[in-house]
Amino acid sequence: MASKTAAKDIITLRGSAAIVSEFFGYAANSILYNRAVYPEESFARVKKYGLPMLLTKDEGVKSFISNLNAQLSEWLEAGKLQRVVLVIMSMNTGEVLERWNFSIETDNEVVEKGVSREKSDKEIMREIQAIMRQIASSITYLPCLDEQCVFDVLAYTDTDVAVPFTWMESSDAKLIANPQMVKLHSFDTKIHKVNTLVSYKNDEEELDDEE
Amino acid sequence: MILRTPAPKRARPIEPAPIIESPPVGSDHRQLAIYEDPSSAGPARREPSQQSEHMLCTYQCRQMVKADFLDALSNAEKQVQDYQSKLAELNDNFGKADEERKTFREKLSYVEQELAAAKGREQALHDQLLKEVNDSHERLKKELELSAKLQAKLENEQNLRKKAESTAAAAEDKAKELEAKLGHISKSIEKEKKRFNNELAQLNRDSKFSITKITVDLEKMEFRAKSSEQEVELLRKQQEDLQSKFSECLHQKSELEKRLTSLSFEDDSPKESDILVKHLQEELRNYESEVREARKLKSAHDSIELMKEKLLEEKSRRERVELQLPKLQEYELKINKLEDELSAWKLMIQDIPGVSCCDDVPLRISALQKEVIDNLKKLGEVNAHLKQMQVVLDKTQLDKQKTETEAALAKEKADRLEAEVKRMNLMLSAVSEERNMLKIAIEDFKSKNEQAGGHASSSALQELESSLLKREPYIKELEGDLFAQKDINTRQQDEIKSLHDRLNSEARKVKSLERESDRLRSEIFLLESKLGHGDFSAANTKVLRMVNTLAVGNDAKQTIEALQSELQRTKEKLQALEEYKSQSGNSGKLVDSYMSGKVAQLKEQIATLEKREERYKTVFADRISVFRRACCELFGYKIVMDERQRPNGIPVTRFTLQSIYAMNDDEKLEFEYESGNTNIVENGYTSTSEISQQVDIFVRKMNSIPAFTANLTVESFNRRTLS
Repeated sequence: MASKTAAKDIITLRGSAAIVSEFFGYAANSILYNRAVYPEESFARVKKYGLPMLLTKDEGVKSFISNLNAQLSEWLEAGKLQRVVLVIMSMNTGEVLERWNFSIETDNEVVEKGVSREKSDKEIMREIQAIMRQIASSITYLPCLDEQCVFDVLAYTDTDVAVPFTWMESSDAKLIANPQMVKLHSFDTKIHKVNTLVSYKNDEEELDDEE
Repeated sequence: MILRTPAPKRARPIEPAPIIESPPVGSDHRQLAIYEDPSSAGPARREPSQQSEHMLCTYQCRQMVKADFLDALSNAEKQVQDYQSKLAELNDNFGKADEERKTFREKLSYVEQELAAAKGREQALHDQLLKEVNDSHERLKKELELSAKLQAKLENEQNLRKKAESTAAAAEDKAKELEAKLGHISKSIEKEKKRFNNELAQLNRDSKFSITKITVDLEKMEFRAKSSEQEVELLRKQQEDLQSKFSECLHQKSELEKRLTSLSFEDDSPKESDILVKHLQEELRNYESEVREARKLKSAHDSIELMKEKLLEEKSRRERVELQLPKLQEYELKINKLEDELSAWKLMIQDIPGVSCCDDVPLRISALQKEVIDNLKKLGEVNAHLKQMQVVLDKTQLDKQKTETEAALAKEKADRLEAEVKRMNLMLSAVSEERNMLKIAIEDFKSKNEQAGGHASSSALQELESSLLKREPYIKELEGDLFAQKDINTRQQDEIKSLHDRLNSEARKVKSLERESDRLRSEIFLLESKLGHGDFSAANTKVLRMVNTLAVGNDAKQTIEALQSELQRTKEKLQALEEYKSQSGNSGKLVDSYMSGKVAQLKEQIATLEKREERYKTVFADRISVFRRACCELFGYKIVMDERQRPNGIPVTRFTLQSIYAMNDDEKLEFEYESGNTNIVENGYTSTSEISQQVDIFVRKMNSIPAFTANLTVESFNRRTLS
């Protein structure tokens, strides 16, 4: 894991995978809270990345996210994970309303040769903090989710990845037709670079239809 | 001053004899011999003789002087002649110099004229250059304005084209989606039809099976009835026997009682008879109890057999129900799916602008198709216009380049002309200097000629010649410089041309690079949009999701738990029944209560299952009717399905379609569906000219029955609305 030196910390593949999977867990919780997929009272406040973060108290969601993080960490260490998408859908109609896209670029040299990189932990935390702030402020431009919603997580992996028992291959990537897209900040551990992008259903089409 | 003619002689008075002077040294060394020439003496007055010697002396002196004078005269005349010859020579030289001067003057004037002409030409060229430059500037400006306008037009056209393309793409996508959905729905409808047919067939089979079962049951029941009748007869016989026995026993009892009574009168030991009676009574009671037990046993036996039969029936029913339960669940799921599809279809209809109900869908589709075609036409026209604009742009750019090159060439010409003008000015100045010098030389020559005869003219001539000689190499140098300048100019022009060509090629390269960069930027934007959209390449990526997602959730869990609990209950029931089977021979009372409870439970289950079955049937019938009505409303055709058999025994499904906009009942379309192939069947309506034409076009040529039916719907709708 990271050991502190004078200015930069050493980042190993395992440490980077842990950072990214942990980030995804907190990001997923933040999205579920900010988009009101689950009620506010089902979240507890914790301190992380120098910010007050909200984690769900629902055991089902907790176990789901923890299992997910474990699998993502495994795939990240193998360098097989390309993208993680958190999809928010309408419970009644199953229509996809939002797609939170976390694309991952892996330094293959680190995966193949097992070398480590150097980057300051503080710098990484600062970058993640910026993304969390952007997720929290996304409610200003994202359309309101008036109906009951559910979420799902899709993992885009290499084709040679063995599908675990609790996962299945899905032919439906749960895409949104003609989405609006907003690119958020990215963070880089020098081994994994995570770019965040949110695409949502174009609200103007609904307004035009209503008109 | 040399006088040309001596002054006329004056009539002198007689004067004393002139003093004889010795002749000058330079003159002829002749002594003066004064003699009087009688002719010349003329009117010389003779003095007296006294004066004759004096007069002779003076005469001699005079003669001497005269001779001297004559000599001097002759010398002078000779000198004059010499001078005159020299003068003539000088005059000749002067004439020559004059001619030369004239020629030089002419040359000067020619040069001046040439200068003036060159100046005029230069001015004209300058003016022309200015005009050309102004024209080229104006043309450039116009071209720039044109190109700016054309670029703006191009951009507008490109934007329009993009908009049109996007609208066309959106319309195409919508049309495709609608078509896909239509196809999907039609497929699902066909599937549902197939399924319903299969279900119908299965229901028929089930009904047949149930009928056979019922007949079998009837036979069983008959057999049982017969057997029960036989048993009843047997029992009756037994009963009669028993009754006879009972009557005998009663008779015996009465006899015994009589005996007892008779004996009681006779004997006081009633105890044995009482005992006998009691014994008989006990036997009677035992017989009665046995009879009762036998009856009970019989009834129990009957009930057992009935229960067995009922068990068998219920087992079979349960098996059937269990077999049909998953089907029912499937039916429920399918019904839910159909409902979802219907709701999705309704939502989709709501989403489609301009469509208020299902009938509007084909119209909207046709309108969208027309719009797509119009948009494609417009796109084509816009593309053609764009291409024209591009061609015009290219032409204007070429013209611009040409004008630029012409302007550059004109500038060069102007520069060259300016240089030439400068050169000419220099030449002029040099020539004017020479002219001045010549003038000065001429004036000097003139003055010199006036003063000293021929010396000045020769020196001026020499000077002129020397100046001429000096000018020649200068002229040669100038000519050499001119040629060199010309060579330099041509080389520079060639260099400039090559530089221009290189400039143009570089500009073209820059433009192509800019176009590539724009294309790459658009590609990057497209890729980023695709990334944001979530597209992926199946060759490199697969999409995985967790199985136990929360979205499926509690409903599924509950259903799973309910199904599991039901399974457990049925298993318990099975175990209980098996135990009952094993324990059926042991105790009647336990069997009675257990069996009655089980019977009640089974009856309740049967009732609930039957109710459920009836509910499913009604729901199914409702859904089918809703589906049929929805199909009728969505596609505009009432569909009637028949199953027939061909003469060769192959079953064929026939669909009869009647449009809701049909003017009469004869307007029916008939299709035969066999193993995935649908064929139109000719009838009176389809053999009419209009319909047969449409059949030829849509069905036979384009192999599209939906297009044919849609077209027919639109036409009959139009006919209806017009009528």
